Amino acid sequence: MSSIDADIVIWLNGLSGNVKIFDDLMRLMASDYLMPLTFSLAMFGLWFSGKNPAERVRYQITMLIGISALSLSNAVVWLINISWDRPRPFVEHGDELNLLFYPPTDPSFPANPVAVGFAAAAAAWSINRKFGLWMFAAATLFGFSRLYAGVFYPTDIIGGAVVGVVVYILTSYLRRFLEPLVTSIVRLIRGLSAA
Amino acid sequence: MSTDPETVRDVFASHYFLFAFLASLGTLQIAVANSGTRGLWLTPRRLVNRWLGVALILSGIALFFLMPLWIEGPWADGSLQADSIIREWGQARWGELAGARNVNDIHGGLDGTKQAIWFPLAAILAFAVSAVIGALNIRNLNRGDLAASEAKSPPTEGGLAGLENHSYFATLPVSIREFWTGIGGVWRTGLLAADRWSLFKMFFGRSSN
Repeated sequence: MSSIDADIVIWLNGLSGNVKIFDDLMRLMASDYLMPLTFSLAMFGLWFSGKNPAERVRYQITMLIGISALSLSNAVVWLINISWDRPRPFVEHGDELNLLFYPPTDPSFPANPVAVGFAAAAAAWSINRKFGLWMFAAATLFGFSRLYAGVFYPTDIIGGAVVGVVVYILTSYLRRFLEPLVTSIVRLIRGLSAA
Repeated sequence: MSTDPETVRDVFASHYFLFAFLASLGTLQIAVANSGTRGLWLTPRRLVNRWLGVALILSGIALFFLMPLWIEGPWADGSLQADSIIREWGQARWGELAGARNVNDIHGGLDGTKQAIWFPLAAILAFAVSAVIGALNIRNLNRGDLAASEAKSPPTEGGLAGLENHSYFATLPVSIREFWTGIGGVWRTGLLAADRWSLFKMFFGRSSN
């Protein structure tokens, strides 16, 4: 499994260096700023997108769950990281890779940025299927760019995606333990005319 | 020039804040144009707001990623040297622009926590700017039916629903009043409707019944 994982990242990263514009596009996509901000903006936009009071409350509660899921997925990734410090591909196969990104120092499994992206996409999907699919596509592209850049193995990306979606599902389920607090938070923000 | 991580972080934080502010303002304009929340529109026309939103998002992205061309930072040789600690401080060239912003957080890039602080601040500022300009719009620019209806009838609903036809400042007192008069009922109804495993129902459920 580990060998297939390494073979895929070496093969995919081996395609770099041929078409500069594609490499540059992957560098932009892999950036710490572009896709994470896209996920945050999607959640921010959905907060204001409801067309009637009932729809607004539903969107806003889902966005609160989504934001909590983002934080919790970070915590889950951290917990996995302290129990398994998987080296990055460029550490184990440095000679065979053309690194397109800075060398991160945290463990490889699971991919934290992908976990965050998939948690946000799952939140968006639960209120708008079509928009959610676009978000899943963006999160997948984010993961692919990091894979192409040589900083993650494919199983890190899959692991990150699973963590993001599972944590979102668990967080939505956990909401039942925290009601009526979640609804009251939305009412408080509504008291400031922002919900 | 120093490549001290704190100096680099300051540069990144100010650029990121501008990026997040413009993109949030754009996203907000698209969202409120679609939902008809006129009190937050930057212009009186829905279609103009929508395209202004797209333009603001694209300008935010372009500005953030093109800035290394004219502002000095730790991005020179960005695409040539992946290891951000050995980069030179200077302006980036076109060819190395795509990787110029890829600086590790231990060398001054913004980590997730810093972004989680700066993004909400930028989003709140975008909301505040929309509320102020939206109020000026309703009062000064749009002297048609909307302005007349606002003058004749004060808002009856708080929250975003009230912002559909009134300014933020006209709606705020109603929202605050609604919150104080309604929160007790929301809490009690919520407790009654909550799952039996709800922590709050366990602690407060009996007393509210």
